Amino acid sequence: MYKLILKLAWKNSFLRRSRTLLVIIMIAVSMSMMLAIEGIYDGMVENMVDKNKRSDSGDISIFAKEYRINKDLAYMIKNADEIKAQIENMQGAQAVVLRVKAEGLLSTARKSSFASVVGIDLQAEERFGKFSEFLKEGSIDLQKQGAIVGIELAKTLKVGVGSKVVFSTQDIRGEINSIALYVRAIVQTTNISLDNSAIFIDINQLHKFLGTDSKNAMQIAIRGEDKELYGKLKIAFANLDVKSFLELQPMIKQMQDLMIIFNSVTFLIVMGVVFIGIFGVMYVSILDRVREFGIMISVGMHYKYIRLQIFLESIVIGVLGYLSGAVLGAVLLTYLEHYGIDLSAFSDALATWGYEAVIYATIKVSYFTTTLGAIMAASIFSVIIPLRKIKKLNPIEVIKAEK
Amino acid sequence: MIKLQNVNKYFFKGEPREVHALRDINLSIEAGEFTLFGGSSGCGKTTLLNIIGALDSCDSGKIYLQDKEIGSLDEESRTTLRLNELGFVFQAYNLIPVLNVEENIGFVMRLRGFSDKEIKQRVLEVATLLEIDNKLKSLPNALSGGQQQRVAVARAVAAKPKIILADEPTANLDSNNSKILMNMMRELNEKEGVSILFASHDELIMESVRRIVTLNDGAIVDDNEM
Amino acid sequence: MFKLAFKNILFYKGRSIATAVLTFVSTMLFILYISLQDGSHNSMLENSLKIYTGAIEIYRKDYRDIGGNEYLIQDVKAITDKLEKIDAIEEYSPRYETYGLLSNKEYSAASMVAGIEPNKEKLLSSLESALIEGSFLDEGSANCIYIGAELLKKLKLGIGDEVAFIGSASDGSFAADMFKVCGVFKTGSFEFDSSTSFVARSYFDELMNAKNRASYITLKLKNIEDADKVNEQIISMLDDENLESLTWKTLMKSMVEIMEIDAVFGYISLSLFMVVIFFVIMIYGFVNVSSRIKEFGVLRCIGLSKRNIFLLLFYEIALLSIFATLLATPIAAYICYYYNINPIVIDGIADMYKDYGIVSDEIPFDYNLFTIGWNVGVIYLLNFLSILYPYMYINSFRPIEATRHV
Repeated sequence: MYKLILKLAWKNSFLRRSRTLLVIIMIAVSMSMMLAIEGIYDGMVENMVDKNKRSDSGDISIFAKEYRINKDLAYMIKNADEIKAQIENMQGAQAVVLRVKAEGLLSTARKSSFASVVGIDLQAEERFGKFSEFLKEGSIDLQKQGAIVGIELAKTLKVGVGSKVVFSTQDIRGEINSIALYVRAIVQTTNISLDNSAIFIDINQLHKFLGTDSKNAMQIAIRGEDKELYGKLKIAFANLDVKSFLELQPMIKQMQDLMIIFNSVTFLIVMGVVFIGIFGVMYVSILDRVREFGIMISVGMHYKYIRLQIFLESIVIGVLGYLSGAVLGAVLLTYLEHYGIDLSAFSDALATWGYEAVIYATIKVSYFTTTLGAIMAASIFSVIIPLRKIKKLNPIEVIKAEK
Repeated sequence: MIKLQNVNKYFFKGEPREVHALRDINLSIEAGEFTLFGGSSGCGKTTLLNIIGALDSCDSGKIYLQDKEIGSLDEESRTTLRLNELGFVFQAYNLIPVLNVEENIGFVMRLRGFSDKEIKQRVLEVATLLEIDNKLKSLPNALSGGQQQRVAVARAVAAKPKIILADEPTANLDSNNSKILMNMMRELNEKEGVSILFASHDELIMESVRRIVTLNDGAIVDDNEM
Repeated sequence: MFKLAFKNILFYKGRSIATAVLTFVSTMLFILYISLQDGSHNSMLENSLKIYTGAIEIYRKDYRDIGGNEYLIQDVKAITDKLEKIDAIEEYSPRYETYGLLSNKEYSAASMVAGIEPNKEKLLSSLESALIEGSFLDEGSANCIYIGAELLKKLKLGIGDEVAFIGSASDGSFAADMFKVCGVFKTGSFEFDSSTSFVARSYFDELMNAKNRASYITLKLKNIEDADKVNEQIISMLDDENLESLTWKTLMKSMVEIMEIDAVFGYISLSLFMVVIFFVIMIYGFVNVSSRIKEFGVLRCIGLSKRNIFLLLFYEIALLSIFATLLATPIAAYICYYYNINPIVIDGIADMYKDYGIVSDEIPFDYNLFTIGWNVGVIYLLNFLSILYPYMYINSFRPIEATRHV
């Protein structure tokens, strides 16, 4: 019996082949485009989040209480090295780095610019966020007065690998001090504040230059996805300013939220229109076969089997559309995940705004599962109104209509 | 087998355009009958057929099928009754376009839960009887009008109903096909013992049947054994 | 055909309503989306532009690429004398910019310090209107410094406080002085407010040995739309291959480009909606037509040509599209106009996106009839394209075949 109904549903789905194919193509094209767009936007945000975490804040950052408001040398974390060792032993902490920062003037013979010097331990940064992957030019090396400059800062000052620069600022005693540095590498982190104004030097060298205690630091950055780690750190270091990534980057949080809203709205609109498409086709298809349904009721087929047949017809179209869209979408997303969208022609502008020249997509299983659910829902709901017409059908009226 | 007692049927009851379609119908149909409900257009023959076939309900009176009162059944029960006890042949659009002849004939049997083996055997039997056994794999749109009607008759009789109701079965056929159809239906009636009730004003059917119940203005005016 | 098309629209209500509603929705969506996108882009550009950048700026060649004192404009007067002759220029002023360190007892910060002509600057930029405390500069301001609000915060200064300046002069010599904070400005651009300050040229030129010298000359035009035209005039008038004259489009190239990229992504997202709606309109059209194959067959049998069939479909979709767009366009246009005059305000968005140069919490819509026009044109085009497949489908049947179609 159910085999018969499935057969009827399948055959009736392709009774009007062109119509059915059009709907399937519509679902496939809309779905694959939507998945690709979702993947690209999510990829952009994820890339930004990843680069930000790796180059700056990590998953959690710790500062002295006053530091974020007053970026002053006076507000350093005391005994930061001990705290670092403590955190490294905590469950969930994958990598910990110390950083020292100061703002000042970076000059060449011809140009000057505002800059932020960041004292780092290269090996620790490599473990923390694969620092070497940010390299654009030169080699990652801070030995012998070496410095690594952010890409936009390098452009502003017109420096390249091998250039000499001088950084000037007030040290811990309040004296204006300068240090000559040699550019060993240029990096692009896509973190705007770093690319526009950061110059990285060896942390010990910076301590010496600033006259600060090498046990102290401005920032302790931690990588660790354990959700409980944040809570533990907040309790353990209640006298310090412990902030999660999203707390430090409200703009990125907002971008993520906006992206979710945008993707959801897009999804709803597209699925809504898909629903209208399936509805239109199913409605007409059912109306065309009103006499056939009348005959079936007359010969004794219960309404529930007819209802099942119609649901199955709609689901067949939805499933075929989904499968086509899923295959096309998967191909598109895989391509975009590996090759990305190449915007090299705009690479200068993109770099200024913290984007890479090639934008890669991300693929998530949820893209496919939510779309499947939505298409199935659209398929099922699209036949509710036509079914009501069938339910109210009087076989006699149908038969009369034959005459 | 079928008994109608004082059956009345109205259309648009209570409205100015009210029609008294059936007036105090008292009728008995026995097993194996080959009967025509005749009369001019609008006399109520189709309405009578529909009431007997549980496609419609009466406004007053009683209808019995095998001593079971069917007049007051709900829609679900009437559908089940039609499935298990009755067979139908309509004037047109009898067949399901996406199913082939074999599947169309076996359709009611499948609804009733017969096994594949039983269906296959019975389908071949009735198809042979109606001389459409060479068209079992064809779709309805590949058949002529006459062949389509024979398939409809085959479907109606395949599940061995007690009664077959045929409303103007020859209306869309030429005289040759009409003759062929009527001969086959009579043969079925004699061989299978199934009662066949017609609603028609086709003279060919009149000549073929054994009983004519004539209606006029909703009432039985004549009831003759031929 | 027109009459028949009209009657068909009224008869096949389901299809007509669905097509009209979808066209209405897509028109509204398209116009509003593009208007919002263009409006926010224009606003970002305008806000950034009016802060400090000129419509046109004249540089010594290689100043922007290499920089340094060798590439300063050495004879400003020679250039400005020529600029006087160009009517389209409303105002101009030479600016001398340098980088230095500003410090008080405890704090120091790097800053671009620019020597400006205060009276001319009132017209050329929004520096004066950005005043939030103290007073703007004038020609007699002497060692007054007009400082950005974020920079003031960094240095923990107030009005009347003194701040030391250390830098290098235009001849490479060491330059140092004490400035007094006379005024504070806040443009909304975080980067600008945290790293720039201004001194009157009448004083600064002495300190920096920059008389008749300039980093560049900035110009304001009577009509910014004429920027390209006027720029060509300037180039030919200057007739000096050691000078370059650049419009704001070049000066703000990276911002212009990022907006182009943003617009491309916007169009990609929009195209998704358009594709889906196009398909559905086509499907409804196709279903409507495929259920009338017999009818078309009969029409063709009695003598209707393929051209007439096309006209019939064309009139049907045209009537539906015109009806829907006539309804949608004024509504959408009014919304654009309203929000152009009364921009949407999202509190905190400027602060949130300060790194991206967003200076204002206001997001205006763009109200441009030409843009609205081509938006509607695209909708019409899509609607007309949607009849192609149904038309081809009808013609795939021979007339007599069509009359027998089930």
